Amino acid sequence: MTLDVKERLPARAAAVPRRRQFGAPPWWFVVPALLLFAFVVLVPSARGVYYAFTDWDGLDPQLSFIGLDNFTAMADDPDALQAIWHTLLIAVAITVIQNGIGLLLALGVNTAIKSRNFLRVLLFAPAVITPIVTAYLWRNLLGPDGAVNSLLSTVGLESWQQNWLGDPDLALWMVVLVVVWQFAGYSMVIFLAGLQSVPREIYEAAAIDGSGPVRRFWSIIRPLLAPAITINLMLSIIGGIKLFDQVYALTGGGPGHATDTISTLIYKDAFTLGEFGYSIALAVVLTAIVAVVSAGQYAVLSRNEKAAS
Amino acid sequence: MKSRRLTALAAAMTAATLIAACSSGTNSGSGSGDNKTLTIASVDQGSIEKVVEAFKAANPGITVNLTTSGADQYQQQIRTQLSSGTAPDVMTVWPGNGNPGATYVIAKPGYLLDLSDQPWAAKLPDAFKKVAQYEGKTYNAVFGLNGIGVVYNDDAMRKAGLTAPGTWTDLLAFCKAAAGKGTPAFALGIQDNWVTQLVLYSLVATTVYSGDRDFDTKMANGQATFAGSPWTTAMAKYQEMDKTGCFQKDPLGTSYEASQTLAATGKTLGIIQGNWIISLLKQKNPDGRFTMKALPATDDAASFIMPAAAGAGYGINAQAKNKDLALKFVTYVMSPEGMKLFNETQGSLPTLPEAGTTVDPGLTELTTFVKDNRTVPFMDQLWPNAKVQQTMLSGLQEIFSKQATSAEVLSKMDEDYKTGS
Repeated sequence: MTLDVKERLPARAAAVPRRRQFGAPPWWFVVPALLLFAFVVLVPSARGVYYAFTDWDGLDPQLSFIGLDNFTAMADDPDALQAIWHTLLIAVAITVIQNGIGLLLALGVNTAIKSRNFLRVLLFAPAVITPIVTAYLWRNLLGPDGAVNSLLSTVGLESWQQNWLGDPDLALWMVVLVVVWQFAGYSMVIFLAGLQSVPREIYEAAAIDGSGPVRRFWSIIRPLLAPAITINLMLSIIGGIKLFDQVYALTGGGPGHATDTISTLIYKDAFTLGEFGYSIALAVVLTAIVAVVSAGQYAVLSRNEKAAS
Repeated sequence: MKSRRLTALAAAMTAATLIAACSSGTNSGSGSGDNKTLTIASVDQGSIEKVVEAFKAANPGITVNLTTSGADQYQQQIRTQLSSGTAPDVMTVWPGNGNPGATYVIAKPGYLLDLSDQPWAAKLPDAFKKVAQYEGKTYNAVFGLNGIGVVYNDDAMRKAGLTAPGTWTDLLAFCKAAAGKGTPAFALGIQDNWVTQLVLYSLVATTVYSGDRDFDTKMANGQATFAGSPWTTAMAKYQEMDKTGCFQKDPLGTSYEASQTLAATGKTLGIIQGNWIISLLKQKNPDGRFTMKALPATDDAASFIMPAAAGAGYGINAQAKNKDLALKFVTYVMSPEGMKLFNETQGSLPTLPEAGTTVDPGLTELTTFVKDNRTVPFMDQLWPNAKVQQTMLSGLQEIFSKQATSAEVLSKMDEDYKTGS
């Protein structure tokens, strides 16, 4: 039976010259998808961008075109400049820390330790919780009488107790902590998939040749892991720049504006102050930052990927 | 070649859908046109439901589509609904100005129905008329009155052996004594930034308005500023209270929710909040008894003024699909029966004296202050834009975390005030 199939397959392939029969799919196949994409994404976005050049308050149908005023106002708005700085800081911190920890976890659970399957599930678990729930959870844990401070006092480290979310110097790092706590497992899974595609033979051959674990990581795992690294870095930097839920639920951008990101500022300017035009201008800037950063990052990483392979 | 053709196609598609999208226009009035269905959007979660039930019982055969949401979410959705012609018939509208769902903001582009000819409109006391009207016409059925003051936990006070302070000097001594007993005087949850304003308003009411009842008019005419007025005194007193230990530790890390627990369970002796807090405290401690008093901001008790203002009321959509039923509902809310029901489930005071609302015994002092005309509206209700308040709220958080001084915050508020509406 199996023999039969094996024999028949090449025969069929030879009989039907697949290339000539079907060719490349005709270009107009993309029309339905493109139409849908245009209608749902392109058109609304393009129409939305128009409002960045108006003084629309989100309510009054009478609006006037004010050119680049919203964008020049941004340069004089300390809140906006601060928010852009916070956004970049958070994005870089999350990208570095989350992927560092994710990679270490992946290397750890890729070994032969007994509980590795259980650990994989456990470490990935936070990533399936909704970010807003995670943030509220941590908001309680990090409160003045929350679990973190209670724990510190139980183990006799009262002097380490902090006003975690109320101290402007700490609050931003607490946001980073919460995001990393939630998504390090997510990075781990992607790294793990990459690691498992590293052929064991190469690894063993290198070990026999006498290379140490660091050397093996740098010369074998790192180049073969390049696609996973690219994906992880892209995802975490874009996620970091767009960060909203966690900040809004943890600190609301406070104390003062100490943890405001571009996204929380967009929300506040639009829905609390009714400055829709200005807020959309901020959103345009955010989009531009995401586009530039991710395009730049992609170019660098894919060059590295090619060099590595 | 192929990619150029694709680009051209994409451009053509975009243009085509753009035209289609533009020509679709605003197609309002999608309702079925029956006169038995009323749509309401409200932020009065927990109280509007009972009022709607009673309204339905009084008008058999009608259907009410009620949606309730939190204030933030509501303000966001109502703007979108109004500008796209899909707003409900009856909706929550805040009195005065200063927030995105306020009477001035929504009445100005013509989204609200003029209610001036309703019998209750003429009966509203002047303090409420001012904030229910825009350019002399009444748009907002304000049914409830809220005040801000110190809400004491009676049991905790008895346990601490302390009595409510009657003057500013007493207040500071009270704070020290309370802190000395390990139960700080007041819970303060300013991680949620709207809470920051409540203590300040309580201080401003007396320090600013007892000497000058026309302060708002002077501000509007450009004859006064925040930075050049007793607002500075109020700011200084707020910080002095903090330094004296009137609040529990880490107010900036404490949420509104957590502050309620502190006050309800007697971990602090009280909380400086609106009267609505009493029903929330009783949820957390059903056996607790709570009493509200004016915050002593000076040593002259006769000069005390409490911040008290109309809470969110109801307006009717100018494009309402069912105007008759909408009017009927608003009339019910403003009737003695409806107002009493609303006030009692919400813990607010009535805006019309004839409602006969049974007021929580803990609110006797507020009721007396209202009767004696010793109240001022919440300051933000007469500010020209929402930015002044937001600057104040985040500014107060910055003062508490030493990122700014009160002089800086007040002059920034002046700047925002001057940008107008």
